[in-house]
Amino acid sequence: MSEETPRTNHGEEIAPVADVHAKRTISMIWVVPLVALFIGGWLAYKALSEKGPTITITFESAEGLEAGKTKIKFKDVEIGQVSDIAISEDFSHVVVTAKLKKGTGPYLTDKTRFWVVRARIAAGEVSGLGTLFSGAYIGVDPQTEGKEQNHFKGLEIAPVLTETLPGRHFTLLAHDLGSLEIGTRVRYRKVTVGKVVGYRFDPDLDILKIQVFVQAPFHEKVRKETRFYNASGVDFALDPSGLRVNTDSLVSVVLGAIAFESPVSLKVSEQAPENFEFKLYPDRESTKQKEYMTKRYYLLYFEDDISGLSTEAPVNFKGIRVGHVLDFSLQYNWKKKDFQIPVLIEIEPERIEQIHVKGPTDPNKNMEFFVERGLRAQLKSANLITGQKFVDLAFHPDAPPAKVRYDEAYPVLPTLPQPLKQLMASVENIVDRLDKVPTDEIGRDVKAVLESLNNTLRKTETMFGEIHEEVLPEITQTLKTLQGSLSDIEKSYGKDSITNQELRKTLNELEEAARSIRILTEYLQRHPESLLRGKGDTE
Amino acid sequence: MSAKQLGLVGCHECRLLSRQRRPESGQEAYCPRCGATLHLRKPNSIKRTWALLIAAFIFYIPANVLPITITTSLGSTQSDTIMSGVIYFLLHGSPEIALVIFTASIFIPICKLVVMAYLLVSVQLKSSWRPHDRTQLYRIVEGIGRWSMVDIYVVTILVALVKLGVFADIEAGPAALYFASVVVISMFAAQSFDPRLIWDAMEENHE
Repeated sequence: MSEETPRTNHGEEIAPVADVHAKRTISMIWVVPLVALFIGGWLAYKALSEKGPTITITFESAEGLEAGKTKIKFKDVEIGQVSDIAISEDFSHVVVTAKLKKGTGPYLTDKTRFWVVRARIAAGEVSGLGTLFSGAYIGVDPQTEGKEQNHFKGLEIAPVLTETLPGRHFTLLAHDLGSLEIGTRVRYRKVTVGKVVGYRFDPDLDILKIQVFVQAPFHEKVRKETRFYNASGVDFALDPSGLRVNTDSLVSVVLGAIAFESPVSLKVSEQAPENFEFKLYPDRESTKQKEYMTKRYYLLYFEDDISGLSTEAPVNFKGIRVGHVLDFSLQYNWKKKDFQIPVLIEIEPERIEQIHVKGPTDPNKNMEFFVERGLRAQLKSANLITGQKFVDLAFHPDAPPAKVRYDEAYPVLPTLPQPLKQLMASVENIVDRLDKVPTDEIGRDVKAVLESLNNTLRKTETMFGEIHEEVLPEITQTLKTLQGSLSDIEKSYGKDSITNQELRKTLNELEEAARSIRILTEYLQRHPESLLRGKGDTE
Repeated sequence: MSAKQLGLVGCHECRLLSRQRRPESGQEAYCPRCGATLHLRKPNSIKRTWALLIAAFIFYIPANVLPITITTSLGSTQSDTIMSGVIYFLLHGSPEIALVIFTASIFIPICKLVVMAYLLVSVQLKSSWRPHDRTQLYRIVEGIGRWSMVDIYVVTILVALVKLGVFADIEAGPAALYFASVVVISMFAAQSFDPRLIWDAMEENHE
């Protein structure tokens, strides 16, 4: 700045010189980092705001799962991704860590279910084919009800129903699963209305419990007496109209299906509530028969002779069959130094109708209660002649107190010895009564009856003798006098007079009558019984 | 002794050395031969370089965090960041490819940014420490710049080539844009830096 500065006369500067330098403007170039900052900040905000909850799911195996690749999908919409797969500390399962999208938090409750979706061909359905190419993914059934949580136990089997469909669950009790499996269809009038959603074995009841779901509005068709049956088979029936083949659709025959029918009855039945238990009948035909699914086993120890008892022998309670004998054997008890015979019986409690039930009851407790009241098992003869025996359960309030024992494989019920004496007594009673029957008297009476009959016959004979001896001569005499009178009349009326002729005719008739009387008397003499019985047809 | 001290100014375009004349306000000095605008030094070099450098730094983060390619192969979609690609090649028996990608896409861009930042700081502090080496660094940074787009080329070529529908499909991820931005902005930053500033400090120190 060497330019001359204007000065006053005194050499003083009039005014300070203005500074001259580069413009102190904010360079436009700063827009670039500002924009960059804005974009970066926006990206960071987006990333942070989209960050959802991180959850862990345990599975038996991580088959098909890959960290960083496997997605978590709901209704085929990606809601998260597996970020890490680790093995649990005890090596028993794998722990899958997944990052979910924002907003999924409220759906992660203790009722939320996770499972791995893989390609599956089952129950007439091919599902998850896409996973053949894309690899497995984790399916989720979000539930808002329940307690929120971030640790889940994954299902090993994909649930059949993932949405909250309107309908009802029922439990079917069956001996075996047959050709059923999860996903097997439930049919009503050949319409698929539901599915088998699961099954489990109940070791207490020794029975398989199959869970089925029937969707609305068909769940209303499930009444309390509805019968479910396995519709997988083909029913052949030979009846007067010919051979009938009854099957569900061929698909059901091949893949298995459960069908149900409600019997038509006058009674308006109630709808079955959620989780109501039904028996699963093996086929449609058997729905019409009674069958008992629940079985309880008890062991009875008898010390006396059980001859006449066989397996399948009935177990009766109050005279009604409630079960049967399954097995028995002979044991020697070294402790008691005696033989004993354990008899295994099976009781079907369903044969006993329960009234005024207040909630579920403990069958063991019930039995203990009954035994306390004197319930005892006893061998009884069903048939005196064949000697068949049955197990009789009855209350013997006077019996010595006993309890149900649980130290064996089955609960042991107390028994009573066979009622032999009682039985003998009744037999004796019968024999006594037989003795008292008055055989002699009866014989005597019979004899007397016969004698009197004889007498009667004799009397009849005498009577006829009298007829022969007394009546006939008189008749002859009368005839003779008549002859005399006739000759007189002949004399008076003339030989050929009408009177004479008529008289002759009359006389002839009389003669004939006399002859027939003679024949009669002779016949009577030969057959006196004809008086009582009449003349036999043959003669 | 520099042209600046002698009141001379070099043209950026035709390199003609002309006598410096102070432009009036609203005027600018032009090269008498080619007509290019004459500057004693690149105007606002340090500020401009800083601004671009900061922008490049900011973009460097999403370029590495976001996926650069989205590969769809037989229905499975996989998105890879630059680093996950490096790790993939390293773990799958191609360490040399991993090294190339790492060097070209991660190491060199960050080196460029760091070197530029260092040069700027050193100029602002009027450091006189090894100006030769610093000029050399600048030369390398500027020279490398044009090669830094290799990644983007690879991605664009892949995206264009692999279009097999369901079987295989590659799409460029959002990081590609940010990576390209890093490269371009850092190139501009290198351009806007005036290496003569390194030597200016030397002369001031000499005085």
